[in-house]
Amino acid sequence: MKKISIRQCGVIIVMCIFANKILLMPSLMYQQTSADSIFVLLTLFLLDFAMLPIFIKLKENYPNKKLYDILRDKLGKVVTKIIYFAMLCFFFFKCLLVFSVTYVYFKQQIYQDEFIFLALIAFLPVINHATISGIRAFSRTIELFFGVVIAGFVVCLAISLFTPISTPYFFVSSAKDFFLSLYNHVFAFGDFIILFLIMDRIEIKKGQTKKLFFFALFAIILVVSLFYLFYAKYQITAFMHNNALADLLVFSVQFNAIGRLDIIAMLTIMFITLFQMEIFSYAFCDCFVNIFPLLNKNYSVVIFDILFCILYYVFIGRYETMVTSALYWLPYLAIAINYILPIILLVILIIRRQKIEKKDKNFI
Amino acid sequence: MKRKIKILFKMPMLIVFIIILLFFTPFAIYSPGESRNRGVVTALGIDKIDEEYEISLLTFIPTANQSYQEKSSVISGKGGSVAEAIYNAQIAMGRSVGLSHAKTTVVNEKLLEEDVASSIDYLSRVASLPENTVFVCTNKTAKEILESSKDLISNLGLKLEQVIGYNANNLYVTDTSLEAFYKGYFSPTKSSLIGYLTIEDEKTRKEENSEISNSQDSGSTQTQSSQKNSDSSSNSNNSEAGLKQIVNQGQAVLLKNGKKVALLDVEQLNGINILNPKSINQIITVDGIEKDEQTISLQYKIKTKKTLISSKFENGYPIYNAQLILGVELVEINGVENSLKVNTEFSNVTDEIAEKIEQKIKEQFTNSINILRDCDADVLGIARQFFFHNRKEFVRFLNKIGGQEAVSQFIDYVVFKLNVVVEPD
Repeated sequence: MKKISIRQCGVIIVMCIFANKILLMPSLMYQQTSADSIFVLLTLFLLDFAMLPIFIKLKENYPNKKLYDILRDKLGKVVTKIIYFAMLCFFFFKCLLVFSVTYVYFKQQIYQDEFIFLALIAFLPVINHATISGIRAFSRTIELFFGVVIAGFVVCLAISLFTPISTPYFFVSSAKDFFLSLYNHVFAFGDFIILFLIMDRIEIKKGQTKKLFFFALFAIILVVSLFYLFYAKYQITAFMHNNALADLLVFSVQFNAIGRLDIIAMLTIMFITLFQMEIFSYAFCDCFVNIFPLLNKNYSVVIFDILFCILYYVFIGRYETMVTSALYWLPYLAIAINYILPIILLVILIIRRQKIEKKDKNFI
Repeated sequence: MKRKIKILFKMPMLIVFIIILLFFTPFAIYSPGESRNRGVVTALGIDKIDEEYEISLLTFIPTANQSYQEKSSVISGKGGSVAEAIYNAQIAMGRSVGLSHAKTTVVNEKLLEEDVASSIDYLSRVASLPENTVFVCTNKTAKEILESSKDLISNLGLKLEQVIGYNANNLYVTDTSLEAFYKGYFSPTKSSLIGYLTIEDEKTRKEENSEISNSQDSGSTQTQSSQKNSDSSSNSNNSEAGLKQIVNQGQAVLLKNGKKVALLDVEQLNGINILNPKSINQIITVDGIEKDEQTISLQYKIKTKKTLISSKFENGYPIYNAQLILGVELVEINGVENSLKVNTEFSNVTDEIAEKIEQKIKEQFTNSINILRDCDADVLGIARQFFFHNRKEFVRFLNKIGGQEAVSQFIDYVVFKLNVVVEPD
C-alpha cells in the first residue's frame, strides 16, 4: 500500500484544523463569551493537542495496523462497528457543516440567490474523484496548493493590521458561559481524529514526529491569530460578522476604494473548503467500507452523494438548523469521538505496555 | 477510436468534465449578461416621509460608450419598511438590487430624530452590503444628495464616498462607516459619530459666499459640487435656482442611542480629536502678537502630534491625564508686516506663542468635553480607558454612581488634566 509522507499528513492536519473555525465560529463564540472566546479556543485546542502524543504512541506500537483492526482485536467486532458508525456520522456532519457555512458565505458575497445546484455540481464530482483516487492523490494536491492557501490566509490577517485595532476586553464572561461555550463548540474540533483513521497509511520515519507537531502548532497559531485580530478589529460588533476571514478585509473606509478586496479571502476559503470536504468525504467512505466490507469504495461514494443531497434538502438544508445542530446535539457525538475514543486507545496502549512489562519480567 | 473510448471510460472524471462542459456551455452562451438582471447600486439613500420610507438607489448602468463615462441614475421606491421600499425600487428598476458595491449610505436628518438603527436594520441584516460602507447624514433628503452626487461623478470624477473619505482621513480621523456607527451604538455608552453633508441651492450658496468674502472670514466651507458650464446654465432645467450642490463643511452628527444629540462643526471635531495622534494638519490662529510695534496674527499648522495618556483614581475620583506634544509650523502671517522672510525668528516658538497655542488648544478641548458631557456621549472612549487600566476602581466607582447604566454619565465625573508642550517642527 502506498503511504503518505509526514509532510502530506501535516497539510491534511492543517486543513482539518481550519475546518469550521475561520468563518462563522468566531462570531458565534463571541455571542456567548465575548473576547474570552480566545480562551475557549485555546482550551479546546489544548485538549485536541493532547491527542497527538496518543496517536504517535499508537503508531509506534502498531506501525502498520489499521485502527479498525486494533479496535476489533481489543473490543470485538460489534463495538468496533458501533465506533466506526459514530465516526462515519461525525465526519459526515462535519462535511455538511463545512459545506453549509461556505455555501451561505458565497451566496451572500457573490450569487445573492440560491445556487445549490451549481454548488453541488461544482463540489461533488471533485470530492468523489478525490475519494476514489485515494488519500495519496488528494494529499499531494493539498500539498501542491498548500503554499497558496497559507499565503491567502496570511494576507487576510496581514491586511487587517493596516486598519486600527485595539486590544479586546478579556475576563468579562462567567465560568458558566465559558464551559457552555466549550460544550457548544466542541463539534468543530477533534481535528486529530482523522490521523487515527488513516494511521496505517502514514509513513513516519524516525525523528519525523516533531514535524507533525510543527504543522499542528502552525495551524493553531494561525487560527488563534485570526480570532484575536477579528475581535480586536470588530470588538463589540463581532457578533454581527459571520465570515471572520473575509470580514477582516472589508473593515475600513480606507480600503473602500480598492474594489472587492475580499476576493483574496474568497479564493482562500474556496480551496480550504474543497480540501476539507475531500478529507471528510474520504473519512466517511473509509468508515463505510469498514462497516460494510462487502461493499467497495465506489458504493460508499454513491451513498455519500445520496445522503449528502437528501440530508441537505430534507433536513440540513436550512442553514439555521445545521448551525443549531452543530451547537446543541452534535457536541454529544463530538465528545464521544474527540475524547472518549482516544481515551479508549490510551487504555489499550497502557494495557499493552503492562503486558509487555509483565512478559519481560517473566522472561528475566 | 475504440482505444480512445476505452481510455475515456477508464477516466470517469474526464466524462464528468465533458458532461459539465456540455451542460453549462449553452447556458453560458445564451444566458443574458448579469447587468441585465442586476442593478449595481453604488450608493443608497433612506428618507422617511410621514410614516413611509423612500429608498433611493444610485445605480450604475453599464453601457457601451466611447467616453468612458459612468452612467448613473437614481431610482426610488416607497414602502412601509426599508425592505418593502427596496423591493418596490427593484420593480421600478426592472432589475434585482446588488448591494455588494454600495459604498455610501445616506440618511435624512429626520431619521435621526428616532433611533436610526431601526431604520437601517435591513442593511445590517443584508450581509451583501459591505461593512465599510460610508454612513452619512444630510440636511435635505437623501434622494437629493444622490441626485447631486451624479454631477460630482460626471463633472469632477469625484464620488460621494471620496468626499466623506477626506473627512474620515483628515477631520474625524475615524471611520464614518456603518460598522463604526454600530460599534458606537452597541458600546456601553451607546454613542457614535457620523458624517454630515449639506445640500444648498446654487443661488443661496453664491449669496452666502459673497457675505463670507465681505466679512473676510472664510471658515472651512468647502464646495464639492461642480460648476455647470455656460451651455448647461442656459438650459432652463439647470437654472441657477434649481441647481443643488453638495457642501462638505466637515461637520458630523453626534448620536446617542441612535438619535441625533448634537451637530458638531470642524472646530468642535478638532477638539474631540485633539488627543488623537493621527489627527494633524489643523490650523491654529494666534492673535495679538506684538512685533516691531505692530500687532499681527500668526497661523500655525500642527505637523506632528504625540500623546501620552494615563488614567488613575485619586480620592475615589477618576483623573484623566494627557500630555500633548505638538510640533507646529508657521504657515501664514497676517498683519502689516508684508516682507516675506523664510526661516524667520517666528519659526522658533516663543514662550508667548506657546502659551497662546496651549490656551487655544485647552479651550477647544474643554468645549468639546463639555458637549460630550451635556450629551452623555463618550465618543472618546474615556470609560473604556478606565475600564482597561483601572478596572477594579472603575467598577467600584460605577456602582457608586448608579451601576452599569450610569456608564454614560461617567465622563461627567472625570477630571481632565491636559498638559500641552509646543515645539517648532
